[in-house]
Amino acid sequence: MVSVTSGGPGLESPTLSDSRNAGPALSSRSPERNEHRKPQVPKALAGGSAQDKYIQGLETEFKFKHLGVLGVLGWILFLHVVGIFFFTKGFLLTRMVLENKSSCDVLPFDEAATVSKKVDGCWHQKSFEKAVVIIIDALRYDFTVPFAPSAEAESAQLFHDHLPVLYETAVNTPENAFLLPFIADPPTTTLQRLKGLTTGTLPTFIDAGSNFAGTAIDEDNLVAQLRAAGKNLVQLGDDTWHALFPGYFDPNLTRAFDSFNVWDLHTVDNGVTANLLPLLHPENSTKWDVIFGHYLGVDHAGHRYGPNHQAMAAKLDEMDRVIREIIAKLDDKTLLVVMGDHGMDSKGDHGGESNDEVDAALWMYSKRGIFGRTSAETAKPPMLARDRFVPQIDLVPTLSLLLGMPIPFNNLGSPIEEAFIGPKGNDWKNVMSVNRLTSAQIKRYQREYTASRGAEDSHQSQSEDLWSAAENSWQKLPRIGRPSQATLLSVSESYKDYQRYTLQLCRSLWAKFDVPSMLQGVAVLSAGIVLLVFYARSLKADQTDITKSLLTSVGTSSAVGVVVGAFLSFSGFVEMPVVESSALLAAAGSIVGASWTILAGSAGVSLPLPSSLWGWLAVTFTITQSIGFASNSYTIWEDEILLFFLSTFGVLAGVSSMRQKSTADRVLGVYHSILFVILGRIASFSRLCREEQMPFCRSTYYASATSSTSAPWQLAVPFLVALILPTVVRSFYAGSKSYEGAATLWIGLGFRLGLFITSVFWVLEGADDGEWLPLSKETLKSVRVFLAQLVLALAFAAGTTAFIYSKPCISINVSQGNTEPESKGKNLAPPQPAGRTTVTILGFGNVHGTRYFLLVVNFCLGIILLQKPMGQGAMGLLLWQILSLLEILDTNGLVLGNSAIGPIVLALLGSFYYFKTGHQATLSSIQWETAFIPLSSVQYPWSPIVVILNTFGAQILTAIAVPLTVLWKRPLQLSDQSSSSPKSNNPSIRLLSDVVRAACTYILYFATINLATTMWAGHLRRHLMLYRIFSPRFMMGAAVLGVVDIVLIIFSVAGVRWSTLSVGEIFGW
Amino acid sequence: MASPPPSPLTTNSAASAPPDTSNKPAAPPVNILPTQLATTYSYIHPAALLSAFAARFPALVNDPVSEMAQQLPFLALAHVAYVMICLPAAGTDSATTTAAATPTSPSTPTAAATSSASSATTTTTGSTTNGNVILRPGRVGRRRTKDSSSSSSSTASAIRGRVVASLLSLTLTTLLATPVLSILLILFGAPFTTHHAQTVLCAAHMAILSSLALVYVHGVDGNVWKEVWGAKRPGDVVWGGALGTCVGAWLGAVPVPLDWDRPWQAYPITLLTGAYVGFVLGSVLGRSVLFGKRVRFEEGEDVKKVD
Repeated sequence: MVSVTSGGPGLESPTLSDSRNAGPALSSRSPERNEHRKPQVPKALAGGSAQDKYIQGLETEFKFKHLGVLGVLGWILFLHVVGIFFFTKGFLLTRMVLENKSSCDVLPFDEAATVSKKVDGCWHQKSFEKAVVIIIDALRYDFTVPFAPSAEAESAQLFHDHLPVLYETAVNTPENAFLLPFIADPPTTTLQRLKGLTTGTLPTFIDAGSNFAGTAIDEDNLVAQLRAAGKNLVQLGDDTWHALFPGYFDPNLTRAFDSFNVWDLHTVDNGVTANLLPLLHPENSTKWDVIFGHYLGVDHAGHRYGPNHQAMAAKLDEMDRVIREIIAKLDDKTLLVVMGDHGMDSKGDHGGESNDEVDAALWMYSKRGIFGRTSAETAKPPMLARDRFVPQIDLVPTLSLLLGMPIPFNNLGSPIEEAFIGPKGNDWKNVMSVNRLTSAQIKRYQREYTASRGAEDSHQSQSEDLWSAAENSWQKLPRIGRPSQATLLSVSESYKDYQRYTLQLCRSLWAKFDVPSMLQGVAVLSAGIVLLVFYARSLKADQTDITKSLLTSVGTSSAVGVVVGAFLSFSGFVEMPVVESSALLAAAGSIVGASWTILAGSAGVSLPLPSSLWGWLAVTFTITQSIGFASNSYTIWEDEILLFFLSTFGVLAGVSSMRQKSTADRVLGVYHSILFVILGRIASFSRLCREEQMPFCRSTYYASATSSTSAPWQLAVPFLVALILPTVVRSFYAGSKSYEGAATLWIGLGFRLGLFITSVFWVLEGADDGEWLPLSKETLKSVRVFLAQLVLALAFAAGTTAFIYSKPCISINVSQGNTEPESKGKNLAPPQPAGRTTVTILGFGNVHGTRYFLLVVNFCLGIILLQKPMGQGAMGLLLWQILSLLEILDTNGLVLGNSAIGPIVLALLGSFYYFKTGHQATLSSIQWETAFIPLSSVQYPWSPIVVILNTFGAQILTAIAVPLTVLWKRPLQLSDQSSSSPKSNNPSIRLLSDVVRAACTYILYFATINLATTMWAGHLRRHLMLYRIFSPRFMMGAAVLGVVDIVLIIFSVAGVRWSTLSVGEIFGW
Repeated sequence: MASPPPSPLTTNSAASAPPDTSNKPAAPPVNILPTQLATTYSYIHPAALLSAFAARFPALVNDPVSEMAQQLPFLALAHVAYVMICLPAAGTDSATTTAAATPTSPSTPTAAATSSASSATTTTTGSTTNGNVILRPGRVGRRRTKDSSSSSSSTASAIRGRVVASLLSLTLTTLLATPVLSILLILFGAPFTTHHAQTVLCAAHMAILSSLALVYVHGVDGNVWKEVWGAKRPGDVVWGGALGTCVGAWLGAVPVPLDWDRPWQAYPITLLTGAYVGFVLGSVLGRSVLFGKRVRFEEGEDVKKVD
């Protein structure tokens, strides 16, 4: 068939000669096409036939089986949704971010008491005007205390006893300083720790409701409170602060340093010290209120050398010197805090939750001498980190109240007693009042959180009890006279009990992965993949043949699953809502049922091993990429890896094309292979780098790396696309003489017009950004919205109508006599006697492919509108590459051979162009603003659909193109009516089976990637890079899989129905 | 390797090729020349190549561009020596097989000359030894290895001929294979705007490893090169080395993205390492276990096309 379809001009136009009296007879030079087939004559020309009923039977059979196939795909979607849901439920522990801010004027109590006027500071009498907060990254507690061997044989390591100043001051002048172990909440990464240290809350996987576009903290926090109170803040050192608090710091005094170069031990530290000490000079004391200094040397020394190294000792010595210098320069009004944000393990790394990683140190110092100890046994700092430790979030209320700030709204920490007990160690009234304030704030937060989330848990009541118990005992305090210390202590303790209980409660809710649920999800996803592999790749029968039995068993077994699940849930055997347990058991049941049908069915399966190099290539691409997602590097550089794979495919396709026997196949194949590789490489120049790719990557998607608008020259890209792309599509149609019928109108006119309007749209957008036109913003906006809606209407409304109702892209000429104007001088038919009718069909060789491709054009137009100018160029290249790929498949005989490579390369293309349209596997790369291209305000469900079309446009377009891998230049096969068993002889059913196989193979790629990213994210759930790399990639994989499933069901496989019916209407069945 | 056992595939392809077919059969797999020196050197060369590469590896990591540039002439020289000593020059390989079958056939020169006239297209400055037959340099070389009792003038001209052939191959390799491989490297994702020196030098190393021997042995025989582009060559030391170089470089790209911050991860050090290792492995495998075997894209692909 290959040689026929691309053999040269005229071959696609077999000439039918129709004698007036005799029945239809075909003369064609394509012998293999005619074997076992009835003469191929357009049904329309065959006239009223007695076989109508037979043909109708075939058509009904096709329609029926088509619906069945959609049902199977729906079941696959169901498995994916259930699997992803259960994994996500256990993995993505979400905490809602409340926007509420604590205010200086409003006390947190129910009775809306205002601050009494006597208090200097918000809520509570402030102790300090100013503060110097020094963070020594990775300052482990045992760095700061004298070495105390816990076992006989243990000897001091190199890091011991090199930072004595903290311990000395805390022991010698307890009223001036205290030192405590300071336990971090995992993950022990600096970014997450800084969040905890400023907001007072616990980190969770996603802070739902937070601003996806950036890392900036939008919860209430200490830095924001200080800023709101008009304090001048200075930050020195680690630049992570600026990602979290952009614009909060005095730009003149602040010095930020890159935090990623762990090999450099000194640049950051020297910079901090050099800028910090001058600020402490009395003449500079009015320039700032709070300094945040962040030293990285200890952390870097740990990463590079580990703690037990001379470099660490030297670094700690340096820190000791620096702290002594700061103490010397400190004035009375200023509080000095030194702390570690986390510890380090024995190798000097951190990120996890081992004791060494979470044990940091906290030291507070002031010359005023207001600190104290609550009892004699706590006079000295504990020798071990696990004695008398405080959680890191306790810093937030402590520092807030010491500086006279309101406690940030989300805080869950408690005030540190040493800071409020007073130098004599007896000011329990003060301690009680700060504890009451803090508890009231936590209570207020808890109430808000429950209100916005919806009350659900039973633990609530116990914390309620603790709170009312504490309040009751407070109420009972004598109003007149001084209550005894013991009473105050017990009231204070009851408040503290409430705080700690709430903290435990939240920690258990937010910081625990639900591993069984994750495993359930992974199990469902894995089983789905295994079944899909057998169903798509190794079924001996046609997929359509087992549809009925498959759907029956799936339906029965999942119904049983639903009932059993509901029963288990109602009877209390499982602690799961009834919907969840029903869904899980339905999925499990359907898996069992389907396994029975597929694996043990009558048709039988073979081992799903590839039989050709192409098959192995498809498996290699999918599996290696899946394995690669275990590494953060391969996840970061996914775009380059995809280019590498695509080039590999292109080169191998060229090599394979060189092996083809027919010269035309060889030349065309090599040409398209080269084209394929070059187009991919050109597309690779469009990139939007993610942070981790720096400095080895240069963003070209926007005008500059710091902008999100297009450069003026990029506005030319849409015009180029409008100029070139329809011509390119046309040339591929013309290659098989299919540029006929609907194609001329739709591709030549509609597509081009839509692309041109798109270009105008983006020029107006650029004009708006650059203010080039003397038009008001509103006018421009309404014109743009109108244009965009016009294009979308053209693409989806008019386009879909055209797709459903148009005729195949062929032209049929009926002419009298010997004249054969369309055969271009090649007489295909033998010389015919005069009086005969000659029927010439152009576009015969690719009737299925070109007919279906109209749908791809529709989607391409719609998706192009929603991309930025660079992305439009990329999508244009994608369409070109898809066409090129189809030609490669055809010339290499891969259209009919049940090869996995076509769908897999399409999937690779989709993933590749995801990155070429300005996206990355990060939440921040979602182009939310595209929701406003066709709409002026957010409208459901349209706005999310628009954003999805923008984000996953490439995967959607390739999903639409999947059926083409078996339709492109597929020879037209018609049923043989003389055969006795018409059931097995309906070629449209064969076609349908091929389409399903291709669609399932395409799904397999994304399902495998999804399973891999899911498992890796679950496995690496305490990895340093979880939040930055693995979890976003997992979310992307899951979202893509869902989108691809739905697009395949609703559009691709469904679209095959219309195109096949349309072909059948002309040519019969 | 003195008298290589004719592989079934080799004999097959030789036998199944009728002389009158329009699609002339491409050359059969190539053997190392059947001399003691060639055999020995064919083992020494890969070993020496790898040891030299390993020895210079620190320098390569230190400054890839200058090290690759400095090593390029040495590699070229070593490889030229290797092909001259170990491999039959263009046009003589088929004659070798014939000669091996009938060592003392008087008609050999004529038959060989005919075949050379039809297949070999390299323009050479042929030297006349017998007066009646104009022999290409490679032919002289081959005859020289077979017939050790030739005159000293013949020896000299033979060596001169081999030098010319190898230099021609070197020129072709440099001029054609290097740009092609550079473009391929860029298409596979090598930087387009920077690192040009690295790309070209890496391509030059790969070109010498992969293509020099191919050109030296096969000249510009269209059928052979068609097979090369289609990756259909039967396995032998030359094709194995060429394919191994490319596959090795392909695999060499794997460690590049990893964030280990090792200096040897810099482009193109790993690719070059992969290419060298791949060349050695490919050569060794090509002449041993994979000799005469061909890369197949599909199971029974010849049958498949009919359907």
